Amino acid sequence: MLQIRDLCCGYRDITVLRDINFEIEEGETLALVGSNGAGKTTLLMSISGHISPNSGKIIMNGADLASKGPDKRCVLGVGLVPEGRRIFPDLTVFENLVVGGYSRPNKMQAENIARVMDVFPRLSDRKKQLAGSLSGGEQQMLAFGRAMMSNPSLMLVDELSLGLMPSVVDECYEALGKLVKKGIAVILVDQNSDAAIGFCSNSLILETGHQYWYGKSSAAPKVSI
Amino acid sequence: MLFVDLCIQGVIQGAIYALIALGLTLVYGLLRILHVAHAALFTLGGYVGVLVTNGSGSFLLALMTAMLVVGVVGMSSYTIIYKPLLNRTPLIALIASIGIFIASEELFRIFFGAYGLSYVSPPLQVQIEILPGISLSQARILVVILAVGLLSGVGWLAINTRMGIAARATVVDPQIAASSGVNVEIIRYGSFFIGSAFAGAAGVMVSLLNNLVEPTMGAVPSYKALAIIVLGGLGSVRGALIASLALGIIESFGTIYVGHLLDRDSIAFAFLIMVLMVRPQGLLVRG
Repeated sequence: MLQIRDLCCGYRDITVLRDINFEIEEGETLALVGSNGAGKTTLLMSISGHISPNSGKIIMNGADLASKGPDKRCVLGVGLVPEGRRIFPDLTVFENLVVGGYSRPNKMQAENIARVMDVFPRLSDRKKQLAGSLSGGEQQMLAFGRAMMSNPSLMLVDELSLGLMPSVVDECYEALGKLVKKGIAVILVDQNSDAAIGFCSNSLILETGHQYWYGKSSAAPKVSI
Repeated sequence: MLFVDLCIQGVIQGAIYALIALGLTLVYGLLRILHVAHAALFTLGGYVGVLVTNGSGSFLLALMTAMLVVGVVGMSSYTIIYKPLLNRTPLIALIASIGIFIASEELFRIFFGAYGLSYVSPPLQVQIEILPGISLSQARILVVILAVGLLSGVGWLAINTRMGIAARATVVDPQIAASSGVNVEIIRYGSFFIGSAFAGAAGVMVSLLNNLVEPTMGAVPSYKALAIIVLGGLGSVRGALIASLALGIIESFGTIYVGHLLDRDSIAFAFLIMVLMVRPQGLLVRG
């Protein structure tokens, strides 16, 4: 479904990532592992269209994404759960979900919201609440829900457990598992790299912008981060 | 009676400020740029209003034409001035905007003359008694109706439509809004159109109230509107509207009670300084 070929990217003149190659199919999961500054978020931002590649290709379902902005990539099935949640704090939970489903027809909105509520029932009591007043865990659920609203085929999850209580982290992993069962592919970054590698079928280890290792998680080398 | 009269005058002035300040605060919210050239659009609205009314005899047609023309020119200002500078520091866009504003005053002078234009036969001048002993011209009443109608219309769209909700999300975090499928460029163009069209409407109404439009008509509104969006809390639409009304009323009362000490604009800025000493983040932004 998604192929990354010889991808090099960064910020302005600074190249952060060099020669990244991997692919991910429907329902597969990939853990992105590496120390701070290794380029994990840069890779996710590049796939979601916020950073243009310096060279290389990002191909999704046969289409080269190079010329497509983040909104077009969302339409093509790329969903983003960003680091730090980045929910819209002055909008209600319902409005956050409406924005998440903006790329889909209006008539699908109620059905998509019901699907999100099914995965995160806690949000259903808080539909009219301002998102900024939710707890950290609820905000993470909302960030997931917002990404789910566009019916993505690929979900990019950045720092899933950052600042969350262990019970909430478990809840988020459980929800992610449900999405994977539905055939959604997931690329996951988590500060708890053992948890990420344990959850994902494949892993890619980055070391200061280089691809250090890529393969089945069961064969992943032990990394110290 | 004087109290009620001053309140009404304050509301009328506040309504004009609100129409001008909306566009400025929308642009600041979306681009984090102080759109000084917005005041030139206000003046352009005044010119279109006078020229179309004098040419066609229809004030309604003039108002609609001014809003459309100024809205389109506003969108063009985004394409020409701001879009190429989005990746630069906002100071560069601010300097470009000030340059466009100064150049526009000269352009108005070149095209329409230095002494301004007036309505040949000013419309909406019939006085209507709205309260016992208080009469207002139809034009002044229209200012309030127009401001309330246009601003509540935009407010309704922002709360009740998907595009309005998406626009509010874009103000908060354009990157994540884009990743949710929102075409941020369409939101920016739409906001420039609406904000500019409202400034155009304000220009038409002020030119009618003063029966004059002249090249420097935008000078005072340019810095007054900047003061209003700072007062309301940069980027806060609701804050800008409340600040507009507050400033209108303060000016109205101030000119009567302290007018012998300070002129109208000094009163406005004294009020701004006092509020910012207490709430440096503005009236409606959480500190």
